[in-house]
Amino acid sequence: MENTMKERHLDVLKLEHVSKNFGGVVAADDICIEINPGEIFGLIGPNGAGKTTILNIIMGIYDADKGNIYLGGTDITKLPTYKRARMGIARTFQHPRLLTRCDILTNIQMGIDLTKRTQKQNVDESELRELLEAANLQDVDLSLSVGQLSYGQQKLLEIVRAVLSHPYIMLVDEPAAGLNHREMDYIVALFNIAVKKGIAVLLIEHAMDLVMGICDRITVLNFGKQIMTGTPDEVQNNDEVIAAYLGGSANAED
Amino acid sequence: MMKGTRKGNLITGRYMITLTCITIAGCFLPLVLSSYMLRVMNIALISYMCVLSVYVLLGMCGQNSFAQAGFWGVGAYITANCLLKLNLGPIVSMIIAIAGTALFAFVLGFAFFRLKQYYFTFATIGLMTIFNGLFMNWKEVTGGALGISGIPPFAIFSFEFSNETSKFFLIIFCAFVVTFLMKILFNSSLGRQFMAIRDNELAAGCMGINPLLTKSKAFAIGGALCGLGGALYAYLSGYLSFQVFTYNQSTMYLIMIMLGGTINPIGALIGTMIISLLQEFVRPLQNYMQLIYGVGIMLLMIVQPEGILGGIKALYGKYNERKTLRRSEA
Repeated sequence: MENTMKERHLDVLKLEHVSKNFGGVVAADDICIEINPGEIFGLIGPNGAGKTTILNIIMGIYDADKGNIYLGGTDITKLPTYKRARMGIARTFQHPRLLTRCDILTNIQMGIDLTKRTQKQNVDESELRELLEAANLQDVDLSLSVGQLSYGQQKLLEIVRAVLSHPYIMLVDEPAAGLNHREMDYIVALFNIAVKKGIAVLLIEHAMDLVMGICDRITVLNFGKQIMTGTPDEVQNNDEVIAAYLGGSANAED
Repeated sequence: MMKGTRKGNLITGRYMITLTCITIAGCFLPLVLSSYMLRVMNIALISYMCVLSVYVLLGMCGQNSFAQAGFWGVGAYITANCLLKLNLGPIVSMIIAIAGTALFAFVLGFAFFRLKQYYFTFATIGLMTIFNGLFMNWKEVTGGALGISGIPPFAIFSFEFSNETSKFFLIIFCAFVVTFLMKILFNSSLGRQFMAIRDNELAAGCMGINPLLTKSKAFAIGGALCGLGGALYAYLSGYLSFQVFTYNQSTMYLIMIMLGGTINPIGALIGTMIISLLQEFVRPLQNYMQLIYGVGIMLLMIVQPEGILGGIKALYGKYNERKTLRRSEA
């Protein structure tokens, strides 16, 4: 892990003027984002602002209409999803998409498989144990079926799997939705481990206390437009952001 | 050591013990069965290999193909041609049949898997029709409507597997090896890739899996299994007719695996044996056969959509649950 870390580019992921339309509806309009290694980057905005669309464009599930995407300096705009995953982008979903008919260990093994394939190295057991403990899954019998885990545990497992694949960046879509406060703490613990490994996290989340608490920088979207990018403090005090969230004009209070 | 991280040893594990027991029990069959019933058993075991190809495709990879009987035919015709036209040895012919069918399936898979899910399934129906047309009309290779006759039995050096019992041992040995290989595949990274695609193709892509290539590999493994089945069939019957490798046969493979359950190869075995033996025992009711099948399939889907093995697994789960409940009450 250490060796690969040194080779890492200054900005892990860079979006340059990325746009996407769905039959006239602008889902992403001229988005420019740069994410640094080991940074937790928040992507927030009201429902339908185009947050998940951007994740899907980064992952290659949708093609961008305009603009370029760079991973560690390499242009990945035209690459298919699986190649981007092998280059070091991991993604979790709003509703966990695990191997539902397999046991937990098989699911974990999927992430290890990817590391073995892309970095030709094994994942040692202490790393797995550390992650499982952070997710409070250390006492779970790994030969159980995934279906026997709670919804929150499945989401945690998905993040564990993503970290195990040793990516450069993790795209995490609403990890806290449907989780209780304790489980949210586990998510933060997992993010901390990821950050320690130098993995950047691109986080979409509606739970504002979580976003404001852990993100280094935040981009606010509304109707596919990038309203602003800044630290949590800057974002919280920006009039335009408040207006987008409250739905009125910025001067409504005057 | 974390709970459940150590998977059962391949050789001493439960799967291997079950498989060995079934095989050893099977080896006593020639003592009790008539020569006719042994032929039925041989055909059933060959079907089992084709059903295993459906297990890989549908059970592991989630792709439904109606063309497996076609690949079975391809394997059989390759064997016959290698033996009779190219004068190759029986073992070499068999290997060529397996490799050739696998390669053929891989290339076709690469083209056909550009279609997804149902569209792929429909395309394989078309493929099966073409296969059957080819078998019927390509006289130079398949002998056309007359078929190919006079295929010599399998032989290792000077030992010929010419009588029904020796053929049975050859086939049961192949079935044993193939079933063992299935377990290795299941535990391998490739097996996990198949299952990832089955459970969610989009998420599989996000885990670095190339869906097109991986599905084509599954198709190729299915092809290899059918190729083996085809080669054994050629050696068993000595005569090939296009009327055997039909769309109906493909459908039958699907029914067999749905009946047994898609969880593991044992399900495929159970399903194949039940249907194959049923066909023999209800022969007096031949006229009502289609009706029995039709109603049977519908009932299966209503009562036990996961197949017999799925039912057993659910029962076992309930039993365990009750046991732990009782323990906690005590």
